[in-house]
Amino acid sequence: MSTQSSERVVLLVDTDRCIGSGMCEMLEEAIFLIDEDTNIAGVLGDGSLPSERAAVVIDRCPASAISVL
Amino acid sequence: MTAVIESSLNVTDSSLYLDGIPHDRFAALRAQPGIAWHPYGDDDSAGFWAVTRHSDVKEVSKNAEMFSSALGHTNLWDLEADALEARRSLIDTDAPDHTRLRRLISSVFTPKNIRRWGELTRSVVSDVLDDFEASEGGDWVDLVAAPLPIRVILAILGVPVEDADYLVELSNYLVEGTGGEQSLAPDAFGNTTELRLLPFNSPASHAMFEYGARLADLRRAEPQDDMVTMLVQAEADGEKLSASEFRNLFHLLIFAGNETTRTALSHGAVVFADHPEQLLRLRDDRSLLDTATDEVLRWATPILHMRRTATADTELAGTAISAGQKVVMWYASANRDDTVFDDPFRFDIGRGGGNQFSFGGGGPHFCLGAFLARLEISALFDEMASRGLGLQQRGEIVRCPSNFVHGILSVDMEPVR
Repeated sequence: MSTQSSERVVLLVDTDRCIGSGMCEMLEEAIFLIDEDTNIAGVLGDGSLPSERAAVVIDRCPASAISVL
Repeated sequence: MTAVIESSLNVTDSSLYLDGIPHDRFAALRAQPGIAWHPYGDDDSAGFWAVTRHSDVKEVSKNAEMFSSALGHTNLWDLEADALEARRSLIDTDAPDHTRLRRLISSVFTPKNIRRWGELTRSVVSDVLDDFEASEGGDWVDLVAAPLPIRVILAILGVPVEDADYLVELSNYLVEGTGGEQSLAPDAFGNTTELRLLPFNSPASHAMFEYGARLADLRRAEPQDDMVTMLVQAEADGEKLSASEFRNLFHLLIFAGNETTRTALSHGAVVFADHPEQLLRLRDDRSLLDTATDEVLRWATPILHMRRTATADTELAGTAISAGQKVVMWYASANRDDTVFDDPFRFDIGRGGGNQFSFGGGGPHFCLGAFLARLEISALFDEMASRGLGLQQRGEIVRCPSNFVHGILSVDMEPVR
């Protein structure tokens, strides 16, 4: 369990599904940003998060647009 | 195997809601295995699957491909095809139309961009509470819960503040269309459209459309830094927003932007008046503001249900559902599900968990105004805590006879220190 929870995973945004709610940007502002022109979320940097935090943002995204690479 | 619910567990009779949500009936429905079939109207096929458990509501809400918002209607009754088209808004669309419409305005409502309205919201909160205290109380809805959200959404849209009362009046007539008797004549406000083609079957929708069209003309002529300008510029683009989409979106933003938060602020006041110790707790520990906001939302459940329509044969909680059948998510029930909320009828501002469904159960139709509503609710109760202002209920709660909105029409409150 403890080894699993320290793993980092890389996240992707499905740009067709994204509705621009900004939930991801609120939860994890270091790796998600809503583009000001398209109103679609993008991933910053290497897009990686500890797996338990990734699970939260994946679950909370209303559009189910976030997944693990 | 279809389990048809007994009439003693009917949850659609609007008169039931005059005494509040029929929680005992929802608890009985949650306890039944599978999903129950709820009769509705005269015809067997008009019935619906009553989804009452938190986990099942979430499943339906998140699976927008299987459970459509664009078919039939998002209310309990079906609309005729032409009426559905005429009334179609963000709420009644599926991807890709939904995604296109939502992205036009989503940037205004992201948590990051909602923060810029914090100062205005706090100043409106201060004004309405000053009025409430100066008049030594009165109808909480009229003095606080109605003016706060309408003034904020009007500022965001760019609607002149002097028109707030008129738009609140129109919204009140729209609420009648969700359950009670309509008090307006069909030709009120100069309406000539068949009522079935108007949102909430209300001539007040015609007035809202007319108002929106006049404002749009003004902004076309003289663009401002506001949301109506943003919408007319998208409309001018042709591809992005049709005239019908504009008027229905304007209507939705005004109605949803004030009616639902008004309900949350009203139930919040009632429950804090019942539980003054929770307001004291917030006063002593302002770090509870976020979870207190969630708990007020859970308690209030401003929208009691939304309907979807199955796009294919499927299964939910072991019950077979056929393509074309109605599937109704009862947020009012999910928010009291004791498998998710420990002792769900206890009001506890420290509860946390972030899993109340007053913004829907997740999925693409997640409340557009969620972060704005949170800002307004938290700003109000934060300011009350700062002032040491408590409430005492002086009169009965007058509720809205509706199975759709959990509205409070009036409740007399007195300020206490």
